[in-house]
Order: sequence, then structure tokens, then C-alpha cells
Amino acid sequence: MKPFVAKITVSAIVLFTLFMEIWAYNNYSGNTEPPTKHTVKIFRMKFIPDHLTVKKGDTVEWINKDFYQHDVTDEKNKEWTSSPFNQNETWSKVITKDEQYFCNLHKTMKGAIDIK
Amino acid sequence: MKNILSLLMIATISICSYGQGTQLEDTEVASVAVVANQIDIDYAQIALKKSDNKEIREFANRMVNDHKAVIGQAAALVKKLGVDPKDNVVSQSLLKDAQETIKKLKRTSKRQFDMAYINNEVTYHKAVINAINSVLIPETENDELKQLLSDVVPALEAHLGHAEMVQKNIKSH
Repeated sequence: MKPFVAKITVSAIVLFTLFMEIWAYNNYSGNTEPPTKHTVKIFRMKFIPDHLTVKKGDTVEWINKDFYQHDVTDEKNKEWTSSPFNQNETWSKVITKDEQYFCNLHKTMKGAIDIK
Repeated sequence: MKNILSLLMIATISICSYGQGTQLEDTEVASVAVVANQIDIDYAQIALKKSDNKEIREFANRMVNDHKAVIGQAAALVKKLGVDPKDNVVSQSLLKDAQETIKKLKRTSKRQFDMAYINNEVTYHKAVINAINSVLIPETENDELKQLLSDVVPALEAHLGHAEMVQKNIKSH
């Protein structure tokens, strides 16, 4: 291969690789917005809001504003729970799927989270 | 069972009728609030001694913790206001009726206890919610005490809902 042709070939490969990296980076960033933190207030025996729609990977933080203890527990199978927490304490969970939850201490208190 | 329900009806009538006939001062309202919460703690303590049912014990433990929290809030408020809860005809009547109910609950056989206790809780919470909304809140002048009473109502409603769930489960067994 002549030196000139070799130079052109190398340059083309470098440019192509660079282009592909930029494309991959843009494509990757476009699909993964930074995770968002959502807050659910627990007040007067209610989860406020009691229904949230979030992105997969977002964090939901519950803050207890009642003077009673509360918890946040998976309603269907009790697969996860916060354990009881006190007034002005918080508990967080990264959401990876639709969830239905309740307060296992006050069983009529219910909430739901959907992945959009 | 009928006797316990009758006593609770009398307690409800006592709160409402005494409250309507007698102007309660805020210190008296505070006393009624503390007494009403303590009564439900006393009922729960009997349940914790007599029942082996998981749902009943869980409910009774919740009543102890939540009603203690309300009493703690009431105590902090009267301390802040520099007053003492004042004994009065309504709190005395509530205590007298509660003593009768406690006697009945203690005498109830272990087999019938769970249903007797949870029926009592359903009726008692309905009575107290009604009394707070129709008598205690309207009679209270101090805004902070009025707010505390108002904040307690959602918890009592949650307790009532929980009690009705337990009642339904026990009936179906």
C-alpha cells in the first residue's frame, strides 16, 4: 500500500471510529436521563400523593409528617418494607417496577407507583 | 356482648349529651381527650393479656402506641399552654362506663374474647369520632387544641377501618 493511501485509510478509520463513539454517546445519553427523586408526604394518615408515575430507576422518598409511626410495605407479598419510622424521618427506595404499597401499621393507608 | 355494646352506647350518649348540656372549658376538653385515649389503651392491654390471635394482638399493640402518641401530644400542648387538664363530668362518665366495659371484657371467656374486643373497638371508635367532631372540636376555643383534635380524627378513622377489617376476618373464621 502506498503511503498516501495508507494515510487516507487510517484517517478514515479514525474518523469513522470517532463518529461512532459520538453517535453512541449521544444515543446512550438520550435514553438515560438522570434519575429523579420524588417525595411522598405521609400526613393525616394518607400518602400524598397516593399515586405516582416515575421513570425506571427513579428514587421515591417517603417523609413521615404525622406524630404516629408509619411504614411503607409491599402490599401484595410483603417482599419489602421500610420498617417503622418516626415523625420527620424519611425512607427511600429506587423504583424498578410498578409497586403497590401500604402502611402495615395502619392497613387502610395505601399507595401505588407506576413506571412510565 | 349485648351488655358491652349497651355500655358503649351509654358512653357515646354520655359524651354527646353531657357535652351539649355543659359548656366544656378547653382544660376540660383536654382532660376528655386524654381519658378517651387512655381508655382505649386499657382495653388493648386486656387484649394483649387474653388473646393469642395475631391480628388482635397486632391491632391492640397499634392502639397502645398510637393512643400513647396522642396523649404525648396533648401533654406537650397543655405544658406549653401552662394549664392542666381539668377533671369534669364527661371524663368522669367516660371512666365510669369504661370500668364497666373492662369488667365485662375481663369476664368474657377466652373463646369469645376476640370478637367481644374487636366489636368494642369498632363501636368505641365510632363513638369517639362522633364526639370529637360534634362536641369537642366545636366547644374548643384554643386553636392549637382544636388543631390537635382535628389531627387525631384521621387516625381514629384509620383505626376504625382497621378494626372493621379484623372484625370481618374473625367473623369469617
